[in-house]
Amino acid sequence: MVELLAQTGLNAIYAAAYMSLVAVGLVLVFGVLGVINFAHGELFMIGAYVVVAVFADFQMPYVLAAAAALVFVGAVGVLMERAMFAPLRENPLGGLVASIGFLLICQALVSVQFGVRMEHVPPVTQEVIVISEKVRLPVHRLTVILASIALLSSLWIFLRKSKFGWALRASSQDREAASLQGISISRISIIAMFIGGALAGIAGALTAPLISVNPHMGHSVIVAAFIVIIVGGVGSLEGAVVASIAYAFVHTVITTFWDGVIADIVGLALMLAVLIVKPTGLFGTADRA
Amino acid sequence: MLLEVDNITVAFGKVSAVKGISINVRDGSIVTIIGANGAGKSTTLRAISGLEKLREGQIRFAGEVISDLPPDKIVGRGIAHVPEGRRVFPDLTVEENLRTGAFLRKDLDQAEADLRSVFESFPRLSERLGKNAKTLSGGEQQMLAIGRALMAKPKLLLMDEPSMGLAPVVVDEIAVIIRKICAGGVPVVLVEQNAQLALRLADYAYVLETGRVALEGDPDALLDDDHVRAAYLGV
Repeated sequence: MVELLAQTGLNAIYAAAYMSLVAVGLVLVFGVLGVINFAHGELFMIGAYVVVAVFADFQMPYVLAAAAALVFVGAVGVLMERAMFAPLRENPLGGLVASIGFLLICQALVSVQFGVRMEHVPPVTQEVIVISEKVRLPVHRLTVILASIALLSSLWIFLRKSKFGWALRASSQDREAASLQGISISRISIIAMFIGGALAGIAGALTAPLISVNPHMGHSVIVAAFIVIIVGGVGSLEGAVVASIAYAFVHTVITTFWDGVIADIVGLALMLAVLIVKPTGLFGTADRA
Repeated sequence: MLLEVDNITVAFGKVSAVKGISINVRDGSIVTIIGANGAGKSTTLRAISGLEKLREGQIRFAGEVISDLPPDKIVGRGIAHVPEGRRVFPDLTVEENLRTGAFLRKDLDQAEADLRSVFESFPRLSERLGKNAKTLSGGEQQMLAIGRALMAKPKLLLMDEPSMGLAPVVVDEIAVIIRKICAGGVPVVLVEQNAQLALRLADYAYVLETGRVALEGDPDALLDDDHVRAAYLGV
């Protein structure tokens, strides 16, 4: 029993790690642009397909594929900002609808290029850290955990210590007041979309060898990310990380001991409970609700 | 003339909030814009900062047209704006709020010196350096908003209702600060509902009514004007 719990805990930490990357990017984009990017899950999916193309098909090193996913999907984020969100700056609902269109285009393009079948990404490493007979941690999962911690720490330092980090936080708290400090909303939106895209892309790239890669894989991720953001408090990056961890533990434990569908139901029920008890989310502030 | 607002019109949909207003600000002066709610005071100020687009007219600053620039570029030209309702960044610390005000500055050493002088002018802010702005009182937030604007090292300061919601003692403090800012070489455009305070401070005053300049002139003369006394001073 203890071993099963320990194994479940490790699985949950892994799930929390990549979920945090996705959720934090989504929160950042919503904060700065004021747009709910429904295509955020597709950015995750594209990250995974960059690994399919660069690592599985072209046989380049995995690290290179992951780095390419980071940059490429970040660039896709910038493209979305310039092509869709900038012209719809004063119309957040329009931005949301445009992002749903973009989501469908992404799925179609990837289906045309790669087919709708599940892609098999060969394992990067087969090594497993054997903690005890029943508690095992595949090295690649450990890589995902460590990479997520490194990326989120870097982001945290960037947001706290750099001028553009302050500008991002200021813009997400009050965009108009930020523009009155000389912060260009266009530039800061580009930066936010690059970071949001890059984090989703690297999350997809990191998990690609461990999960089934297909053109519709963004769906489950985006649903989980929305739950996490609402529970954590819309607009709170710390809240997104904490809620990712909490959600991953609940979801993994229930999946292990009962069933994945029940875990989804419990996740949504938790979101509802938080909305009823504290509508601003656990870490959210009132004016952001 | 430092700032020339030349016959501007601002409209929201079919409703014009500002209908042909002209305002001039010369160096070294405090100019106030008073008027009732909805007279177009804030809209005029927001138009100067580029937050509202002009339908007609032009705004020139130091001889150059600025009315087609976005807000961040206008800050770059030297106009800082203390917005209505203070609008400090609630989850940034006091220090981060102030440093955000210096976002465009390249003279970092001078900005550090200015940060110290803001703390000297507002000792209560220096006590709360590391606290999030949302934990500050209304008066402290107003001082933070003013300090943040000063960190941009502006050539002109726009202030929108700095006395709003503050206790009389704090309003007096703000008045002293506004005088000091002007004496320090930064002219001020002051939008106020508190006409008494505004006319006491200003060198020149505009009275707005339903989007137009109804009266303008020397504040002392306006203080004696029967219409102004009845409509804005309640005497």
